[in-house]
Amino acid sequence: MLRATRATVILFLILMVPALAPAQEEIVCISCHGTLPGKLGEPVKLWKGSIHAENGIACPSCHGGDPRDMANAMKPERGFLGAPKETDIPAFCGRCHIGVEKDYLQSAHGKALGMGGPTCVTCHGNHLVVRASLDIINEKTCSQCHGFERARIIREAMAQTESHIVAIDAGINRYKGMGIDTEKLEKGLFAVRNRFHTLFHNVNVEMVKNEAVGINADLGKLDSTLAKIAEDLDRRKIIGAGAVGLALLAALILYLLKRSYDREE
Amino acid sequence: MVLFKKIADWLEVRLGLRDLVDRELTGYLLPRNINAWYSLGSILLFIFALQVVTGILLLIYYVPDADRAFRSVTTIMNEVPFGWLIRMCHAVGSNMMVLILLFHMLSVLFMGSYKSPREMNWLSGFILLNLVMAVSLTGYLLPWSQLSFWATTVATNSVGTIPVVGGRLVEFLRGGTLVGPATLGRFFALHVAVIPLTIAALVGLHLFLLERIGVSTPPFGMDDTRNAWRGERFEYEGHPGGIPFFPNYLLQDLTSIAIYLAFFFLVVFFDPYLFFPKDAFLPANPFQTPAHIKPEWYFLANYQTLKIFPSEFVGLAVQGMAMTFLALLPFVDRGKEKHPLKRPLFLACSVGGILLWLGLTIWGHYS
Repeated sequence: MLRATRATVILFLILMVPALAPAQEEIVCISCHGTLPGKLGEPVKLWKGSIHAENGIACPSCHGGDPRDMANAMKPERGFLGAPKETDIPAFCGRCHIGVEKDYLQSAHGKALGMGGPTCVTCHGNHLVVRASLDIINEKTCSQCHGFERARIIREAMAQTESHIVAIDAGINRYKGMGIDTEKLEKGLFAVRNRFHTLFHNVNVEMVKNEAVGINADLGKLDSTLAKIAEDLDRRKIIGAGAVGLALLAALILYLLKRSYDREE
Repeated sequence: MVLFKKIADWLEVRLGLRDLVDRELTGYLLPRNINAWYSLGSILLFIFALQVVTGILLLIYYVPDADRAFRSVTTIMNEVPFGWLIRMCHAVGSNMMVLILLFHMLSVLFMGSYKSPREMNWLSGFILLNLVMAVSLTGYLLPWSQLSFWATTVATNSVGTIPVVGGRLVEFLRGGTLVGPATLGRFFALHVAVIPLTIAALVGLHLFLLERIGVSTPPFGMDDTRNAWRGERFEYEGHPGGIPFFPNYLLQDLTSIAIYLAFFFLVVFFDPYLFFPKDAFLPANPFQTPAHIKPEWYFLANYQTLKIFPSEFVGLAVQGMAMTFLALLPFVDRGKEKHPLKRPLFLACSVGGILLWLGLTIWGHYS
């Protein structure tokens, strides 16, 4: 009776498990806010699609607090910071994105902080922060405060280098899917991409054009590494073609030899 | 040639070499109507040998530790000279082994070579099929990638549906409640030692039985295609007037192996990533479940069967029954007829079974 009950319970539990894999241990922020409706629940939904979530950066990384203690999660004594005021946003994000904060504060955007100027959130969003690309520089976002023309000039100055970065990224991902060790390449591209993207925060088109020369040189080095990998892969294919050919030739010779013995029989 | 003769004479007086050669090679006669399908077993032996050799080479650099396994495989692929080739040969070879094994099994089925007195050969072959699946499953975990980790989680989870012992069995397989370093340890021991040695022993038994009972006559090109065995006493099935194994059929074996190698190299050099989704090159992350985890192609039918039935236990039981039926086939199908076209019931069931398996596999791939 006990065995049958136990088997039934196990069977029931198996049927109730929606996924066959064990779930990640959820922090209390997500387990609470994830179930709330409206504005209180929306950040969780947005965050789940973000690059922060992809890299394991969750609520406490920005807002502080205790992610394991539901009762005390949002207490200031546990380091909870809450949502920053508009003028505190650059410093809030700048705790991790240090160089970007510095560039931003020196720029026309930064000087207009608190006076109608944009903050990090204006362009990047707050919870649905995605990997930065030139798409962030668009008419809808930029023309909230001024005409799109000046932003378009900077975007055009960055476009060619950006597509070069995107192409190298695609190349790295393709080789990663072949077991090639792309760690150094990924780190190199990450550094160059960051250097390049932070340029925009100065909103200075001349600076973008000047810095792009050095950035393109670095991208050129990455291109050479990728070209060498492509060469190695092509060489393998040539050797492979030779191996296949030799095997087929051996098969033919052995078959003809067999036929000659069969005729003798 | 004089030296060769001197060596042969030296061995002759110590081993009776000429008699051995005559009995096992030049005098070992095979049926005149033997066909190329009979060489699939030799191809499998060759693949197994290649897996052992490439496996031993990989052992030199592979580290069976959860923190270092992935990195060691990356080192093999990128820094060890020809490491990429050894690894790819091993990975592609494991898939080829299952594919050729399925063809070998089908050829035995369709030519009725499983019938009396060869029941033990069929059974040993069936056990070998399961061992090859097991060695593939255990080997899958060793690179410790996202694919390895989560595919093993799903595979070991399914065993948990067995009543009463299911939970304990899962823990026994994993060395704990979840897949982890303990799982890697035991899967490594199983993959490099226990299962290969068991396979070698069973292959030895399989070949011994083949040699002891004699090669079965194919049911093609003959008027009477019925099984001639009467079952009154042990009778070796000789083939007087047949073709000698050496050099005739050995050349057929070598030809088949060469054709296999051509196909094998084609895959290894031109598209080895056929068997590698992108999760195969990401290190295992127990906190991040990939969106889609599918087992290898030869387990897709099993995977889809589990998905079809509302209860995993029923899904597992259905598969268990199907495999049991397959194992006991020589005891179920006691008909004398061997030609597939003269066995309509067998043909219907086997073609239906193959189509069902293919259908479930394709469905499993797209679901």
